[in-house]
Formats: sequence, structure tokens, C-alpha cells
Amino acid sequence: MRVSQIFSTFLCALVVAALSSGRAHAADSDADSATASKESRAEMRQLREERKHDRQEIRALETKVHQLEGTNSKVETNAQQIQTTDQKLKETTLELQQTDQWVKTLQTRVNAPITSSQFGGAVEQYLGSHTFTVTGAAGGQFIYDQQSDALDGLHHASQNSFFFDWEPMILYRPTDWILFQGVFSAGFGSTGTGTDLSTADFQLFLNKYMTVVAGLFDQPFGDWYEAQSPMWVNRFITAPLPYGVEPVVPPGELGLQLRGGFQWGALGQDADYTIWGGNGPNFSSDVLGAAMSSPTSIASAETNGKSIGARFRIYPLPVATEWGRLELGASTYNGKWMNGNWFNSWGVDFNYFVGNLQTRGAWLSSYRQMPDGQASDNRQGWYVQAGYFLTGLKVPGIPEMINNYLRRFEPLVRYSGVNQRGVSTDDIEAATGVGLGGTQIGLVPDFGINGSPATYAPHSREVALGLDYWIAPSIVWQNEFDIELPRAGGVFVSSTGAETPAGSIPNDHAFLSQFTIGF
Amino acid sequence: MKKIFVAILLAALALGSTGVRASAQEQDNMSPAEHKRLFREGAKLWPVYCNTCHNARPGSEKAPYEWDQIMMHMRTLGNFPQEDTQAILEYLKAR
Repeated sequence: MRVSQIFSTFLCALVVAALSSGRAHAADSDADSATASKESRAEMRQLREERKHDRQEIRALETKVHQLEGTNSKVETNAQQIQTTDQKLKETTLELQQTDQWVKTLQTRVNAPITSSQFGGAVEQYLGSHTFTVTGAAGGQFIYDQQSDALDGLHHASQNSFFFDWEPMILYRPTDWILFQGVFSAGFGSTGTGTDLSTADFQLFLNKYMTVVAGLFDQPFGDWYEAQSPMWVNRFITAPLPYGVEPVVPPGELGLQLRGGFQWGALGQDADYTIWGGNGPNFSSDVLGAAMSSPTSIASAETNGKSIGARFRIYPLPVATEWGRLELGASTYNGKWMNGNWFNSWGVDFNYFVGNLQTRGAWLSSYRQMPDGQASDNRQGWYVQAGYFLTGLKVPGIPEMINNYLRRFEPLVRYSGVNQRGVSTDDIEAATGVGLGGTQIGLVPDFGINGSPATYAPHSREVALGLDYWIAPSIVWQNEFDIELPRAGGVFVSSTGAETPAGSIPNDHAFLSQFTIGF
Repeated sequence: MKKIFVAILLAALALGSTGVRASAQEQDNMSPAEHKRLFREGAKLWPVYCNTCHNARPGSEKAPYEWDQIMMHMRTLGNFPQEDTQAILEYLKAR
């Protein structure tokens, strides 16, 4: 069965092939052209398809190009923005760096403590030149005064008391060539609370070599009243005898001064001058030995005569030699009192310090013409003192802490005296014109006066021993032991002018202790 | 005596008044080098001049404007030469 099927199929195939072969031969030529046409058409179709495809691709590409162009534009814009941002960032960074540096600078300034000069400069800028300054001193004092005997029958008694004194100095500078200074004292003294205008004057700086002082001022005679009377400046608590209860020249004056200084050699080799005039000397009465109560006020009956004074000082040692500072001075003060009677005085003084040693002294003399042909009222006074700072002291074998305390001490010694023909008993019993504006009562201690009767003797002498403990350059605890050694001679004079010999004068002792702050 | 004193004073005022402004102007126009020179000189003079009468007080105790006034007063009291006063002031104000 199967073989038959294969055979029949083969036969049919042969028939078909035969038939086909016949037809092919017949249509060879036509078939060639048709084929070519078909091919052309196919090619055309293919070309169309390709063109269509290409167009599509072109469109797609164009779309892509457009897209890319848009994208590129955005990129460019972004790039520009980035560049701008970058520039801003750089600027901001620079600003930040500068700010950071400034902050660091400020931080440094904030952290660093302000210097006193910066602070002072700021205050000065704020206040301007019209400024006040208050300086001066304050002190508390204790005095024990042993009055062992009577003086010319006057009451006497040993005394001890506390005192307090406050002496502010006000400085006012309206401009750089004018200064006003005024000192007033307020204290609780021998008569209770009292006040006193010590000095008040204008200082006009005319040029390098001339200054005019006008007003109420300390007597520029020697250098004690001017330079040594402030309580923190005076190494002792009391004044030397010629400047105490029996002054040889008036302590103050109301008038005018012309003064100045100049350098004549090397640095430190200077000279200075002071000439002045004023209301003149004044005395508590017209009897022999009357105390001076200058400055003369307009209400006084003794204002007709005026005064004139002069002082010249020289400093011969140059600073470079390190030989210290030596001052040599000469002074004179002359005037008329009680309508035409002369008062003449002159004196010399010195001051020398080198290293820890300081010495000073003065000698002064006055002549007072007395009315009605009486013998003249002559007075002389002197003092010399020395002090030695124990700075640098190192005592072996004791702790350093003790040495530190010892180095602050300054032992002192002073010898002073006054010679005068007579002393008015009224001045001993009543106000003497010294201390707080004349509030001191005779034989009663007061601030800076030990009150011993012996200091009122016509020929008084005193040895003063001192021991200062310096807490700071202007803060001091002072201790003083006074030994009064008056000489015989001279007279006591009553208010009527009756004279009695001074006779025996008690040798008193006094102890004073004072705490003073110079501010 | 009064006539003599008044004559001296008037002569002094006439002579001196010409120098007032010059002195103030000199201080204003001072150069930094001049300030340094004054400071060094003031450091030498401060212990010498001040200790003549009292313990030398350090510059830190007072403000600069206070030293201006205090040194004016000290110049009067001590009769210091003007240049020396300026030198000490320079030193005190610098502390």
C-alpha cells in the first residue's frame, strides 16, 4: 500500500513538472519583463519604505536636535547661574573670612583687659579739658602729751585724745594754661569740728619760664610751708618748731606770685625763682612775742603795709651722676605791719636725698620793728632732720616675711629750735593761729601739734624721733616721740606788755601716732 | 614797694602772655619719636623730682586726665622746667 502511494505521487509530480516546463518555454520573454517590473516596483516600494523610514528618523532626529538644543540652552543658563553663584560664593567667603578676622580681632580686644591709659584716654575724651580732680589727704591721730609742770602759772595737765582731719585739694583746669587749686581742712580738733580754707589760688602758665599765682597761698619761704606741710608728705606728725606754734615767718599770704624754673646745665641741674607780694605780715597783738596770724584779712587794722618776698633755689647735681638730688635755697620776706613798722626776714634751706637717705633743714631769722621805740622783736629758728628707708634690708636668720615688714619702716630723727626774746601769754592761753584756722587753744594738743607747754617757751628745743611704716607710697602709719628740751632765757609778755622772766620750763614728752592716706 | 611789684607783674604778664599759645601748640604737634624721648627722660626724672619732697607715686594711681592737672600743680609748687614737667607727665600717663 505504501509503495503504491509513493508511486502515484511521483507520477503526479512528473506530470506537473512536465506541464510547467512547457509553459515556461512559452512565456520566457514576457516573464523577464514582468520580473523586472516587479523588481522595480519592489525596489520602489522598498525605496518608499526606506524614505518613509528615513523621514521618520529625520523627524525623530530633528525632535532630538530640538530637544538637545533646548537642553543645551538650559545647560548654558545653568552654567551661567552656577558661575554667578560661584562668584557670589567667593565674595561671601571673602566677606566671611574678613568677618571672621574682625571677630577674632574683637575677641582679642574683648579678652584683653583695657589698659589704664586707654580708659583714662576715653574718660579724658568724654570729660574734655574742663575737669576736676580731687586729691589731698585724710588722717586720724592719737596724742598722749605729758605735761609735767606749769608754764608761767598756766594750767597744765597730761592729756590724751584722738583727732581726725580731712584735707581735700580740688584742682580745676579750665584750659591747659590755667589751673585753680583750693585746699580746705575739716577736722575734729581741740575745739570740736572746724573748717579752714588753707589755700585757694589760680595758676596761670604764661610760658615755659613764668607762672603767675594769684590768691591765698602757703608762704613760699624756704620749702616747708609749701612742700612739707601736707600731712602725708611731712615725714613727722608735728611741724619743726620754727613752723609750729611759734612761727618765725608768716605761714601764708594773700597776694600774687611770679615763679618759674629752668635747666641751666645737664638734666637735673635746675634753678628756680619765686617773687611774690601780698597783704603783709600780721600779729595777734602789738606786744613783744605776739604770734603771727597771717594772712592779713581786709578787716585787720594792720593792712596798710604790704609785703614782698623772693626765693631762689639751685639744684647742682645732674641726674646722670646718680648722686641724688640736692636743693640749696635762700629766701627773704619783707613787709610792714601796723601802719608802717617793718618786718624783715631771711633764711636758707637745704634738702638732699640719695638712695634711701633723705635729709633736710633750714635756718631762718626775722626782725620785727616794734612801735613806740620798743626794742625789736627778733626771732630765729632752725631744724635739721634725717630719715632712712629700710628698703632692701635683709636681716639674716629671720623669716623673709618679717624682713618684708621691716623693709617698710623709715626711722627718723629731727632737731629743731626757736629763739625769741619773748612769748605772749595771750597766745599761749588763747588761739595761736595755727592748726585748723586758729582753732587750737594753747597747751591743748591738736592735729599736728603735741600741745606741750615747752613748745611755747621763748627758747624752745625739741628732739623728735619718728618711725614711719609705709603701706604704700602715700599711705603711712606714723609714730613720733617728742622730747622737749627748752633752754632758759627769754620772757613771757602779758597783754599789757608786762614782762616776766621765763624761768624754769618743764621738759615734757609726747607720743603721737597717726594714720594718713594721701589720695 | 607797691609800684615796683605792680611794674614787675605787668612786665611779666606782657612778656609771658606771648608764650602761652605757643606752649599749647607745641604739645599738640609732638611726634611719636618726641613722645618716646620724653617718656625715657620722664622715667629718669620721676623718682628724682618727686622724691625731693615726697614719695614718688606710680602713674597707675591716677587717671591720665588727673595727672594733667596734678602735674600742672606740681610744676607750680616745684618750679619744674616746662620740658621736665612734660617728660614726667608723659611717663606717668604711660604707667
